[in-house]
Amino acid sequence: MSKLTIADVSKIFSTTVAVDTFSLDVADGELVCLLGPSGSGKSTLLRMIGGFETPSSGSIRIDDEEVIHLPPEKRPTGMVFQSHALWTHMNVFQNLAFGLKLRRRPKAEIKERVEAVLDLVGLKGYGSRMTTQLSGGQQQRVALARSLVLEPKILLLDEPFASLDQHLRERLREEVRDIQQRLKITTLFVTHGQDEALALADRIVVMRDGRVEQVARPDMVYREPATPFVAGFIGTMNLIDGTVANGTFSRASFSVPLPVADGPATLAIRPEALSLTAGGQGIIHRVTDYGTHGLVDIDLPDGTRIKSMISDAKAFAAGQSVDLKPTAISAYRDNAVIYRTR
Amino acid sequence: MAIALAPKRRTDWIGLVFALALTIVILVPMLVVITWSFANVWRFPSVLPQQFGLKFWQMTLARSDVWSALSLSLTLSAVVTAISAAICLPAAYAFARMTFPGRDVLFFSFLAGQAFPKFGLLVAIAAIFLQLNLIATFWGVVLIQLVGTLLFMIWIPVAAFQSVDRRMEEAARDAGAGPLRVFWSITLPQAAPTIFSAVLLSFVGTFYETEGAWLIGAPQIRTMPVLMISFINNQPVIQYGAVLSVLLWIPSLIALVFTRRVVNSGSFARGFGG
Amino acid sequence: MTTRPPSGRAQSRGLIGLLLVAVPVGLFAWMTVWPIISGLVQAFTPTQPNGTRPFSPANFVEFFSDPYSLSNLGVTLWTCLVTLGLLLVICIPLALYLRFAQGRLAAYVQTMAMFPMFVPSIILAFAFIRVLGPNGTVDLLLNAVGLPKIRSPYLTPWGPVIGLVWDNIPLTVLILVSGLGAVSNQAVEAARDVGARPLTLFWYIVLPRIWTSVAVVISFTMLGLFSAFTLPYVLGPASPEMMGPFMQRTFGDLRDPEMALTQATVTMLFCIAFGIFYVRAVARNRGK
Repeated sequence: MSKLTIADVSKIFSTTVAVDTFSLDVADGELVCLLGPSGSGKSTLLRMIGGFETPSSGSIRIDDEEVIHLPPEKRPTGMVFQSHALWTHMNVFQNLAFGLKLRRRPKAEIKERVEAVLDLVGLKGYGSRMTTQLSGGQQQRVALARSLVLEPKILLLDEPFASLDQHLRERLREEVRDIQQRLKITTLFVTHGQDEALALADRIVVMRDGRVEQVARPDMVYREPATPFVAGFIGTMNLIDGTVANGTFSRASFSVPLPVADGPATLAIRPEALSLTAGGQGIIHRVTDYGTHGLVDIDLPDGTRIKSMISDAKAFAAGQSVDLKPTAISAYRDNAVIYRTR
Repeated sequence: MAIALAPKRRTDWIGLVFALALTIVILVPMLVVITWSFANVWRFPSVLPQQFGLKFWQMTLARSDVWSALSLSLTLSAVVTAISAAICLPAAYAFARMTFPGRDVLFFSFLAGQAFPKFGLLVAIAAIFLQLNLIATFWGVVLIQLVGTLLFMIWIPVAAFQSVDRRMEEAARDAGAGPLRVFWSITLPQAAPTIFSAVLLSFVGTFYETEGAWLIGAPQIRTMPVLMISFINNQPVIQYGAVLSVLLWIPSLIALVFTRRVVNSGSFARGFGG
Repeated sequence: MTTRPPSGRAQSRGLIGLLLVAVPVGLFAWMTVWPIISGLVQAFTPTQPNGTRPFSPANFVEFFSDPYSLSNLGVTLWTCLVTLGLLLVICIPLALYLRFAQGRLAAYVQTMAMFPMFVPSIILAFAFIRVLGPNGTVDLLLNAVGLPKIRSPYLTPWGPVIGLVWDNIPLTVLILVSGLGAVSNQAVEAARDVGARPLTLFWYIVLPRIWTSVAVVISFTMLGLFSAFTLPYVLGPASPEMMGPFMQRTFGDLRDPEMALTQATVTMLFCIAFGIFYVRAVARNRGK
């Protein structure tokens, strides 16, 4: 049973605010992804939990025990670094045994635990290899094993797969998820890749400029983004700024009924929620055929470009004029949702 | 010159000329010295020695002044290197990994000595030592050699410490190691090969340092190079100097083997402003 | 729970840092900075017969009015310039070759060029005498083919020049090759593509990029040569002598530290521009 409680944590680097009064509860066995662009403060937050940065204010508790005053070596956290940070002067076994030796475990136990964890990450029999002889994926597995072997209460992963290629990333992502589920270990995973977050997380925390934009289940982050930023950051989204008057949103010649009070608004429409019919104000700039579907770029008369996903790419061609029919929309004003279809 | 790189499989004439010229100018003099050391008899005008043998090796090694100079040089180098390592390595770590007021100014201040011609500086130091009665003493020579090692015994290890990935150290903290343990188990082993080169350079540099030893140490403190000067100036039997040269050369050859990698790396040249 | 003032820990760490660097910094201040200042002061305040030391340029007037001192300074300058010229003429082509050539022959040339770095100058001096000295190897070989002996450069001003060139080849080549690293292969290939001949290439593409390195070599070598001691002492003539042996003799044999300090000050002042330029170049490189 290990839960993590972060309350009102801020980190100020001389003049810039890296993390701004951040609060989050992570339940036992939960995998939470911190998602955001670079500079959003997600890595800083993770490093504060690991003990590598000291918060300017706030509290971090693990199982209701304050850890903020503890140095990294005294915290029950295990961190996997982006650049794997394996100790190149030791072999795989020595890398994994280092922490256990510090804890003065008996030799036999060390051997047993290291072998068990190597088996867990699929590197059975690699103990005597030097870390530099391993491939990138294997190195990252060793780094993961090095954290797991100490049985931390909280596992912290700082963009662990960022330096690997797409294919390997996807495989390791699944492995991490499997291992996490099997060990039921409370995990915080930092990434800037939305695919990774959507595939892995029980919950996603979308961060921007050191603040939380939204905390929600992956499907909710995708379907019901809380702010225009989240809407734009996760998946492809048409974000159209315009004005609402008499229950109608309009931008140039494009208008949609929107039952909200008059004023400015930002409309968010997924490409797959925008159907096209021949004849209208939009001019097709390009049609890209992806085989399974087509993606159409449409230019409105004022130059706004809008994307629509269609099932048959052959149905439309560049230059054709089309009418846009949204099937599901969200609308935002002052960074908050004011309307959502359904 | 760039012609040399373009068409493949063409004889590298320029390279051959350089190789030949450098071999004659650089290798041949060394071979001549080695030949002399093994020549029992070599009278003008024979191109080769009339008689080879180890006679002069035995005679040189039987001289007490050679042994006392050798043991003095080794002691001196060991003492200087040990003190230098003891005071410079912690300082290098501090420069590389800690922030404190005046860090950059102090770090670059070690360069100031390089702005002056070395022997002029030595004379200025000698004038101070004269007042302190350090002239012609062992510790006077130790001090002057020590100052000579400061710059690279700090700069090279600083570069070594800085190149250790901080995440490796953080990972060790994460695994439960305290700061001292991290330094001992992670930082030092990672930086060790480069630091070893610096220590070796310091030892060899002290072993061969001639000018400070001559100016400060003479006449009581006779190191190997100082003895060599007196052999050149006053010793009519050529072979003694030749044998001593070969003996004297051994530490340098060891250094050559171990530090070649460091010397050939770009950072070494940059250290000299290149 | 809450804000922990980080300043306390940072301050104590700062103190530890200062403590760790204190000994080498102190040693350096005592044995480099202080001697320079004290030397300057002593040189400019000659001891009067009555024991007082007023400020006076008398030592320098004496130095610059003494024909022997002047000829020593002259031979030092001559040696520096000739050595420097020879070094550049030898090392620039060598560095160019090493920068652009590949293969085992180039590796051999590189090893040979670096070799003198591992030959202590005192051994070099001995080898020099055995090869170029009277009845040395060159004489032996010339004699064997029936030619007259050479006029040996040993104990002439050319002796130190040859020794110093030999000694300085490795670092000069290293610095130049490092500087040539700034000339990209593409730049050279592009220039060849538009039809540049080797000389044009050298003049317009390569040379502009390595001026700094050449300047560094000049400063570095001037600093080293101006007060060189061992090679001039062993290989050079007894009179006139270069500044290094001259200072040593004034200090050690004539027991006149004040005059030795004056000579040291003169060499330092002659080199000050080179010194400042060199130190700035090293600092800039280290800052990168």
